[in-house]
Amino acid sequence: MGSETRKRAREHLKEQRAKEKKAAALRKNLIVVGAAAAVVLLIVVIGYAVLNSDRGEGYTGPIAAQTVQEDGSVVMADDGVQAPVVEVYADYQCPACRQFEITNGGLLKERAARGEAIVHFRPVSIFAQQQVPISGNSLRGGAAARIAADHGVFVEYNDELFENQPTEGREGFSTDQLKGWFAELETSPGQQEEFGARLDEEAAVVTEFTEEFLPALTQDAVDRIGQETLGTMVLTDLLAWGADNGHDPAFLEGTYTGEIIEATGNAYTRYSGDDAFGGTPSIYINGTLLDNNTAMTVRGLSEAIASADPGKVETQPLGDGGDEE
Amino acid sequence: MDTTDETPALVSGSRWDTVQPWITFVCRLALAGILGYSAFSKYPPALSVQAVEAYDLFPHELARLIGYTLPLFELALAVLLLVGLATRFTGAVATLLMLVFIAGIVSAMARGLSIDCGCFGGGGAVDPEETTYGLSITRDIGFAALGAFIALWPRSPLALDRALGLFR
Repeated sequence: MGSETRKRAREHLKEQRAKEKKAAALRKNLIVVGAAAAVVLLIVVIGYAVLNSDRGEGYTGPIAAQTVQEDGSVVMADDGVQAPVVEVYADYQCPACRQFEITNGGLLKERAARGEAIVHFRPVSIFAQQQVPISGNSLRGGAAARIAADHGVFVEYNDELFENQPTEGREGFSTDQLKGWFAELETSPGQQEEFGARLDEEAAVVTEFTEEFLPALTQDAVDRIGQETLGTMVLTDLLAWGADNGHDPAFLEGTYTGEIIEATGNAYTRYSGDDAFGGTPSIYINGTLLDNNTAMTVRGLSEAIASADPGKVETQPLGDGGDEE
Repeated sequence: MDTTDETPALVSGSRWDTVQPWITFVCRLALAGILGYSAFSKYPPALSVQAVEAYDLFPHELARLIGYTLPLFELALAVLLLVGLATRFTGAVATLLMLVFIAGIVSAMARGLSIDCGCFGGGGAVDPEETTYGLSITRDIGFAALGAFIALWPRSPLALDRALGLFR
């Protein structure tokens, strides 16, 4: 009887010890996992705070003078300012361009207003050759920005376009929307009417270009010169080929749609070597292409501007009275 | 047969017990390197946000938060793997993360989007013929396997866990 009790007590003790061992192991595991979770939380929270500190403050101060150039680009700088020239190539349908605008749009306005930078906005349409609706959105946005430039509100309208950028692949930048955003700016009813009339003309050109002219031209080019050669041609090359082969691009002449297509083609040949234009957004300071870490962070761009010498704008202002009206 | 030779080894331990910790160790280093590189390649965050937005799954604000914090989360996992803290847990979380990535890529594929996965920087729309979904998914499966191995056999040398009395 006695030995039986002892045996049971021994077994009970053994069980107890095993249980305690298990509980201790579990506790240890929990502590380690907790420590690991704390490390993760620490890295994420501190990292987020650091990255977020690079956020540009939304600049709401005065905007420097805006001057439309002969090629349809816009220079934002007050008269006689000597400062580095920051060229901004962007497509209104390009999401990374929207991120650039969110990150550094305010910085550029502020630097230009302080006379510390000459900002040269050079809208392009690298998506003009893509499928509808991407191509149409890109061109309509570009044309609308150019019309806004005629009314002296390019910079403000540029903001509106990026703020309302359509999701890639979805229909957007409708003429009604584009007119509405223009009306939200400080513009007179007369200006809004002019804007709307011109926009309707441009939108019709864009539709003809993206839905009829370009598909027919592309098909023809594929048949006659092959997909491979076609792949190496930029849009302006293709248009030049088309002009010689029965695809008359005359309907683009004198339109802002045609102008932005040409501006895009010219961008590809403007720079060479490491500075070659290859896509958007492309940010240049005095003709030198900035890398992403510089262009896409507030600190990077701010320092790059501060350390650059004064530069020269390569385009000429559009002559007075040269406007269509 | 091979299996009769190997199975007892697994159970009785001798060879497997010597080799396994080093395999896990190599997996830890490899996965830490991959996650760390992936985190740094996503800098600056503005571009990472754009890569997330290209999946067209989240509203702008949420995409921004993910674009900022996902690389940091990857970095944190890399650090944990490197020092060997909570090895099993970290390996499992890394595997889950890869499964989430695969789900994201499959969903982009299923919806007919033409995007770069943004796995190692980059991201955003690409020409339809330039998508590399298959490659991205295969790669992520491989990374998930590394994580799974670590989670299943967490015992490895040069790990904080050992110092704390775990997975000795």
